Amino acid sequence: MSGLSRLYHEQQQALGARWFGRGVEDLNKRNYSRAVTEFRAALVYSRDDYSYQLNLAQALLGMQRTAEASAYLANLWDREPDDGLVNLELARIAARQGETNAALRYYHNAIYATWSRSQPEDPETARRTARLELADYLLRNNATEQAQAELIALAANLGTDPAERVQAGDYFLRARDYEHALEQYRESLKAKRRYPAALAGAGLAAFELGRYDVAAQYWRSEAAVNPNDTVNAAKLQVAETVIRTDPFRAGLTSVEKGKRVIDAFNATGRRMKFCPANPGLQAKWEKLKPQMTSSALRRNPDLMKEGMEVVFSIEQQSGCGSATPEDEAMVLIARARQGTEP
Amino acid sequence: MNTETMPVTELNGQAQPPLPPTPQKILRTVFREERLFLILSVFIGIFSGLAVVCFRFAIDWCRIYLLGTGAVLTPARMILAPALAGLVISVLVLHVFPLARGSGVNQTKAALYIYNGTIPPRTAVGKFITAALAIGSGHSLGPEDPSLQIGASLASALGRYMRLSRDRMRLIAPVGAAAGLAAAFNAPISAVLFVIEEVIGRWTAGILGSVVLSAVSSVVVMRWFLGSESLFRIPVVELKRPAELIAYAVLGVVGGLASVAFGLGIAALRPKCRALPQWTQYFQPAVAGAFIGLIGVLGAPQVMGAGYEYIDEAMHGQFTWQFLAILAGLKIVATLLSFVSGTPGGMFAPTLFIGAMLGAAVGGAEHWLLPHFVVSPGTYALVGMGVLFAGFLRAPMTSVFMVLEVSGNYSIVLPVIVANTFAYVISRGLQPVAIFDVLTRQDGLVLPSTEEQREEGILRVEDAMRAVSDPVLDAQVTIEQSLREAEGSEAGDFLVRMNPVGWQVIAKTQLKDSVAEGKGASPLSSILPLEMIPFLHPDHELDTALRYVDRWPLVPVVSRADFRTLEGVITQRGVLDRYREFGEG
Repeated sequence: MSGLSRLYHEQQQALGARWFGRGVEDLNKRNYSRAVTEFRAALVYSRDDYSYQLNLAQALLGMQRTAEASAYLANLWDREPDDGLVNLELARIAARQGETNAALRYYHNAIYATWSRSQPEDPETARRTARLELADYLLRNNATEQAQAELIALAANLGTDPAERVQAGDYFLRARDYEHALEQYRESLKAKRRYPAALAGAGLAAFELGRYDVAAQYWRSEAAVNPNDTVNAAKLQVAETVIRTDPFRAGLTSVEKGKRVIDAFNATGRRMKFCPANPGLQAKWEKLKPQMTSSALRRNPDLMKEGMEVVFSIEQQSGCGSATPEDEAMVLIARARQGTEP
Repeated sequence: MNTETMPVTELNGQAQPPLPPTPQKILRTVFREERLFLILSVFIGIFSGLAVVCFRFAIDWCRIYLLGTGAVLTPARMILAPALAGLVISVLVLHVFPLARGSGVNQTKAALYIYNGTIPPRTAVGKFITAALAIGSGHSLGPEDPSLQIGASLASALGRYMRLSRDRMRLIAPVGAAAGLAAAFNAPISAVLFVIEEVIGRWTAGILGSVVLSAVSSVVVMRWFLGSESLFRIPVVELKRPAELIAYAVLGVVGGLASVAFGLGIAALRPKCRALPQWTQYFQPAVAGAFIGLIGVLGAPQVMGAGYEYIDEAMHGQFTWQFLAILAGLKIVATLLSFVSGTPGGMFAPTLFIGAMLGAAVGGAEHWLLPHFVVSPGTYALVGMGVLFAGFLRAPMTSVFMVLEVSGNYSIVLPVIVANTFAYVISRGLQPVAIFDVLTRQDGLVLPSTEEQREEGILRVEDAMRAVSDPVLDAQVTIEQSLREAEGSEAGDFLVRMNPVGWQVIAKTQLKDSVAEGKGASPLSSILPLEMIPFLHPDHELDTALRYVDRWPLVPVVSRADFRTLEGVITQRGVLDRYREFGEG
């Protein structure tokens, strides 16, 4: 009897494994329909096999048959609530169905779950992927603060891989946590000095933080490595314009400050010719124009402030044609100006 | 043992050594028959478990070699496998195993009531081979009822080997039946209940222990070889609001109607197929198989075979409710074809399949109509299985416990009871004779209908007793005084209350004779026999009274609270009159 039983079970296992193998091949080729059929055939021979059910669920998800996949995943979850991949797949389904609480619960389960059994990659990578997906989900749902918390936890566990650091930095950028983003890019650059993605990201983070000279420095380095990057080249131009034209930068002489104010005031006047501002602002500009001389500005520092306020108002309210780097720079200076005295 | 010292016996004038004791003789010497029966039940369970495991292997091997190994079957195989297997089966059934036809439940019942517990081993072998071929090739039948019969046949063989008494032999087939069913269904409680409810038809403590022992031991053996996985992955069972019971009641109504359609179909078509010329019997299973294959080719291969994997899928929302409804209908057709063609195989699995599909379809439709009202359509598939079990197989108690045992969830009890009640009442109303009784009668046998037995009224002593209108004499008073009391009545016999307790009966003539003999001053007790007469209670079954009323002209009926309080008397005439009235309806 036991010989007969062994023969039976060996045959069942072999048939199950054969169909499972075919299913995995088709799943990897994204041929989901065939994979579903093959995994179902495998399950005929080993109905309770965990891997067969999990792969069938993944194939069903590939076919967008979410309800069926959920049924298998829920069953697997009942058997092993600590399985990372099952939790991650359930989280994805819940996220797709807009069930935020369930999605968050399953994502957190996935992050702290066991990953050894069902996942081909190493557990740390799997956990990181789960946390990044969670952060992405939170960002898409405007839960920025929660996303930042997840990203900080993620960053704390990152290794020295520059690509991972850049990825984390990119997520911080999306979460508008520019300090942490810059930190991640810098960590990446420590491991790989001329890593274009890190240089570009660091430039952007520094730019958003208002550190235009730092941003320009990173972007210049990036341009040297990646001369075809026109997007960052344009941003570099804006950053350099800010550095060149900002009258409120620390360390400028009063002559240089006056000169920058007059240049900005005149540039605004030129802009108003083809892009008229509202009549009140235009009148204000006309009234101040005669007073905008180097000597007058030296004598009356309040005039400098008054002139720049007119410039900022006109730049911020006029919206015609494409903005030149100078216009963009002026808007950025205006934003940075809030609370800053020349 | 030294043969030289052995005692010798004379046989035909020659000295013969006595035969060595056989194992059954030793066992019968050591154990009383009741205990031996219990021990035997365990062995019946073990052997039945092993047989069912082999049966499962055989079915799976037939499926692999006849239908192929994949989940998608080729059209040629789908039609040819059941058709050709049908031809082989018909030859085997007609020429080698004529008793292997049908499901097996009735044959087991017939063994109990007609054949003194005997089921020929050949029947089990035939059932094993033909049912494995039929189910493995895709006929729409299940392995449970054949397993039940295989178990019963094994038990019968063991009983004969042990030379059990006729009473025990009659009971041994149901013990084996429970073992076979439990192993096939992986559900010992349901198997025990089904055998008691449908095969034995009554609860007796004597048989219950044996049935339970055999069922449990067979399940242990089966799980040893095939693992302890349940037949289905159970969905999350939810009953969020009591009003959802209305939705389950609807399922009960639909299930009841489907049960009637299924039952009437079998009842009508089976005799017609049997009435066809003899030569057609060779082709009926083949034609049925080809039709079932055609259903598979046309898009519903799920109806082929037992179909447990699809029940599982239905429970987990893997089909649309429209397709589930179609599957339920097609399965009824496929099972009708297989069964009425005389192909050996069981009705349990198809019943569960139809119930699950119907349940999931009703649940799905209700969810579609009222999404917030019906939360978990998968649960309806589970309840649906119980509904068809109650409606079609007419085993209401088993149906409830089966769902409980399979689901392991007590929160499903209420929906199951509600739905099953509706299904059972509708089925009972529209098709008064249960399907197993229909089949028995079509086979020319008259077996007691368990359903009728269940519903049969029981006459009790209180229905036949009459109030005490004649004087009750006291054993302490004199005979003369007793006669004076008796003279005032027309009756010939009088009850005598003994002191401190007990009753006697005395005839008026006996009192007169004693007075005439000059014993009038003696106490009445001096002429009464020492043995007290028995007494009854009003709730005793009237059958019990029959044991006494022919020996004593009056039998006292006393209160259970106080045996000296007389509630009435019962006489032979009264009992017979009551039975006659009952018989006349």
